[in-house]
Amino acid sequence: MPPGSARRLPASLVSGAAVLLALGLIAIVATPLVREDAYRVDLDSILSSPDWSHPLGTDGLGRDLGARVLCGARISLTVGLMAAGLSLLVGLPLGVIAGYCGGIADRIVSRCVEAVLCIPSLVVALALLAAEPRWLGLLPDFLRIALVLGVTGWTPVARYLRAEFLRLGESDLVVSARACGAGSPRIVARHLLPSALAPVLVTAAFTVGASILLEAALSFIGLGVAPPTPTWGGLLSEARYHVSRAWWLALFPGLALFLAVLGCNLFGEGMRDFLDPRSARRP
Amino acid sequence: MILGVCRRLASGLVTLLLVSWLAFALIHAAPGDPLTSGSSEDERWFLTLTTEHQAEIRALYHLDEPLHRRYARWLQDVARGDLGLSFHDRRPVREKIGERLGTTLGINLVALVLTGLLALPAGGLAAWRSGGAWDRLSGAVVYALYAIPAFWAALLLQIVFSVKLQWLPLYGLISDGGERLGILARLVDRAAHLALPVVCLSYGGLAYLSRFVRASLLENAFGEASRSARARGVGVARLLFRHGLRQAALPMLTLAGFVFPALMSGSVIVETIFSIPGLGSLFTEAVLQRDVPVVMGLTLITSVMTLVGVVAADLGYLLADPRVRRAPG
Repeated sequence: MPPGSARRLPASLVSGAAVLLALGLIAIVATPLVREDAYRVDLDSILSSPDWSHPLGTDGLGRDLGARVLCGARISLTVGLMAAGLSLLVGLPLGVIAGYCGGIADRIVSRCVEAVLCIPSLVVALALLAAEPRWLGLLPDFLRIALVLGVTGWTPVARYLRAEFLRLGESDLVVSARACGAGSPRIVARHLLPSALAPVLVTAAFTVGASILLEAALSFIGLGVAPPTPTWGGLLSEARYHVSRAWWLALFPGLALFLAVLGCNLFGEGMRDFLDPRSARRP
Repeated sequence: MILGVCRRLASGLVTLLLVSWLAFALIHAAPGDPLTSGSSEDERWFLTLTTEHQAEIRALYHLDEPLHRRYARWLQDVARGDLGLSFHDRRPVREKIGERLGTTLGINLVALVLTGLLALPAGGLAAWRSGGAWDRLSGAVVYALYAIPAFWAALLLQIVFSVKLQWLPLYGLISDGGERLGILARLVDRAAHLALPVVCLSYGGLAYLSRFVRASLLENAFGEASRSARARGVGVARLLFRHGLRQAALPMLTLAGFVFPALMSGSVIVETIFSIPGLGSLFTEAVLQRDVPVVMGLTLITSVMTLVGVVAADLGYLLADPRVRRAPG
């Protein structure tokens, strides 16, 4: 590799980060500004197509679609980030245990991963929300969904971490650390985790995107965040009822969702190329 | 070899038990029981009963027993093929699933065949001229397809093809009075109804599979590994079929194992949008009606089918690849 080229950031990382940054800004700055518009019912301008006063049109109750789409960013990002954080919280320790201890612990964790992988995450999430256990019912909507998505989304984290630990466990890195008298906690925390963390963080970036998509799917079906709170999935669900009259209701919330997920995927991909330049050079 | 097969089957059995326990625990781990922790209307009707009646109903559904006993009882019933009665209309869950299975399987089969037929040439072409115009274009398109949620794609397709152009019906499986049409007309009618759902079900898999085909062909047929073969003058066709696709078949087995969960998730969304009476829309209905036995039955069936697919794929690997056979555990 020519010197200096490794430091150049991949285009996908930059563009992904830009999209996510813009969304974050919208969620923090723009959402409070347009909150009132997002809920103001105006029965004189029901389902009006995009014009100067409503750049993205209005919905079935005359509410400004642009304001509602902007408000949706906050919920989507919060749920996505929290679900990814939760899956790290569950997946990291399990992956460490399976990869470092091996033996019976590895077998147990691996069987659990296989079992969870066998049930589609949308099905688990829907089943959990449908059964409505009491401990879930007490939480606010977005927290409940993030929790459910975290419960189903930890398997890739655990799998990648386990694989990395198995690979590194045999390496000179660990052998020499052990020869110096380092104990297991020190080896794991100081030597193994820092080396294994890169692919795990990449996985986490993809998990954010997948969680945003799943949250939207749940809200679309009607088990996500309850209306009138605007979420992208919920807005698309409303669009179904006006599909023959109001194309803008379907186009813009979906576009926002698409951009957010694309941003996460680009960011993850770019990070992978940046952290592991070998994969970037491959055609 | 036989030892390996037995070992895989045994671990598959362990996972099967784990899956069934998960499906059960997911729904029953809550404090209280389905009678009191359901939606608020359920709660009210149950609480209006006298204590004796409440106890009677609890005993009827074995809700008064500890969780592990209920799990054992449920497992016994499931092993006999009895998935219980629907809370909603008191019909056997097996019957409700059975009458909708055909529709979902049929649509997914069409979608799968279409995916395979398009992904092989698309991926092959991209690998053959990697870095060329088609490769870069399809790469970008695939990347975009990954991020498009099926329900958005469905809405946009409905708006373009059903509302604006009026070429295809908006939803359902047959037109009004479609039963009276002749064979040919009915076939056309059915195809028109299925066109949009099938597109929505297949584009995700198409994106994934075409990239997969491209990657494995690059590695085995057109990459550095085949340099000596090309130097010997082996033609493109031979490279593709003898070197490329044969090697690609193995990893594709693994992929096939995980097709089921993707199909089920896709069917839930797509069938709901297009009002198709299949397993996916049954699942959505059951979820919205809090019909726990139906939800559990469908969850169990999907996961067991997935598990069977995964284990079968692993066994196929074991039979086909001597390296896996020798590796421990």
